[in-house]
Amino acid sequence: MQAEALELLMGAGVRVSAEALASRRLAVEDEGGGYRFIFVKPADVPVYVEHGIADCGVVGRDVLLETEADVLQPLDLQIARCRLAVAAPEGARRAPSGMLHVATKYPRVAAAHFGARGVPVEIIGLSGSVELAPVLGLADCIVDLVETGRTLAENGLVVVETIAESTARLVVNRASYQLKASAVAELVNALSEVVKRGC
Amino acid sequence: MPESLSKIPGGMRYHFGREARLRRAVEGAALAVFDGWGYEEIATPAVDYYALFERGMGRDEASRAFRFTDADGRLLALRPDVTSSVARAAATLFAAAARPLRFCYAESVFRQRPRSHAEWKRQGRQVGCELIGAGGPAPDLEVLAIAAEVLERLGLRARCRVTVNHVGVFNGLAGQLGLDDEAREQLRRLVDARDAGGLEDLLARRAEGGPPSALAARLSRLSGKREALAAARALVSNERTSAALAALEQVWETVEALGLADLFEVDLGDVAGLDYYTGLIFKIYVGGAGSRVGGGGRYDELTANFGRREPAVGFVLDLDAITEVLARADSAPENGETTPAAAVEGESLSGRLLEAKGRRARGERVRLALRGE
Repeated sequence: MQAEALELLMGAGVRVSAEALASRRLAVEDEGGGYRFIFVKPADVPVYVEHGIADCGVVGRDVLLETEADVLQPLDLQIARCRLAVAAPEGARRAPSGMLHVATKYPRVAAAHFGARGVPVEIIGLSGSVELAPVLGLADCIVDLVETGRTLAENGLVVVETIAESTARLVVNRASYQLKASAVAELVNALSEVVKRGC
Repeated sequence: MPESLSKIPGGMRYHFGREARLRRAVEGAALAVFDGWGYEEIATPAVDYYALFERGMGRDEASRAFRFTDADGRLLALRPDVTSSVARAAATLFAAAARPLRFCYAESVFRQRPRSHAEWKRQGRQVGCELIGAGGPAPDLEVLAIAAEVLERLGLRARCRVTVNHVGVFNGLAGQLGLDDEAREQLRRLVDARDAGGLEDLLARRAEGGPPSALAARLSRLSGKREALAAARALVSNERTSAALAALEQVWETVEALGLADLFEVDLGDVAGLDYYTGLIFKIYVGGAGSRVGGGGRYDELTANFGRREPAVGFVLDLDAITEVLARADSAPENGETTPAAAVEGESLSGRLLEAKGRRARGERVRLALRGE
């Protein structure tokens, strides 16, 4: 997502030098000096933005749904398209009344999804390689991000249900949106032009 | 010490030294402004029936409170807000008092579940005022002028922004679009998140063109000075929204006349707290704070819960958020500094105490030398 986002930004006239990207620094300036970029894990993007340490951020909708982040989302960047889905071993049949064991990196999304359907579930929080869980018998199914479905297929899993579509979003801190209104609007407008051209 | 005693519960903290003095100075400055506008201080019970807050704040907000049961089994809460309690007092204790009522307060509030990651604190301090029993534009403008004066006294004017909106703008549109509760909430969330793309999708799915949709789609981005109101006006075709925009225009004219146009901004995309507020709403932002530091508006329906429907308007400031900004900026009015205390030394305790007493009588700060100091 980072490479795609930087490409969009380049289209909007915000360029980060290859040299800066190649360095191991986690905070770099763009070539114009108008923006400072910080590179953090996806789940940390809303945290930095909510606290106003970063005015804006680029993060997937999946992360926003899971963290229930209180940030503004003025623009869908239409990149990193994928979906949050329920996947289970091919041909598996769930016991009609039994408890469903769900392995996931998205415990809140999973709990809300099954909760809304009145399905009793035990959520098993994992931090990676979720596809392994049903294969090894840790869980009946998984809730995970699916892009091409290849990893699923290679582990004998199929998508049972799509929970939500996800793309990368430009997110903005609520206070920055007001206090740096013109700078934020400029960035949003420039990026939305690039996104439109891309369609 | 066992771990259970040294550990502090999440979201709780101490304040001391310079920060504690600064907090008190900020609180004092705000209360002095309220006093200057004829507002009487009121202190509300720290523990009250949960039902009060459920009525006063709405179920979602109230459910964040610390809750426990009274001896008779009734549900109690540790005060999560002050306004509910003030509104009840107006309808009960002050039922016979002449209107309007002007109250101000500085009280600690508690929330067991914070609203967001950034809001990790579970104890806060609200400094605010309420003007109850008067409707129309005058009380709204009085409260806005008071907010502006408080910000000015705190030296924050130049880095502040107060956004104003009117709940009728959105409510009129939602009514015109004929939305049911669920669709209305969906639309509100999208406007609140400034999700222009999501708004367009939602309105396109409903396949309703025309002015209401055009305005709804742009609502999330209509902000600015007077021109934002003019832009909205051109798109409106329902009475409720028109009336709300007219009310905002009046507010804006007065704001300009008061020379406060640099501080204020119209933000038609501010649609938080719509089930609570009934007219003007405003939010206060300060550079250096990652979320808003205060806000308020008109809440004409609230007092009806306590048996007496009357117009009311007010606002609160988050003392901790403001103190944090000022502590970092070194631009506080008094910066919480005090003159150093004079050490009182000498052989005999009674001599030292006598000297200290004399200095205290002259208003000096003293620090008594104790044995072994």
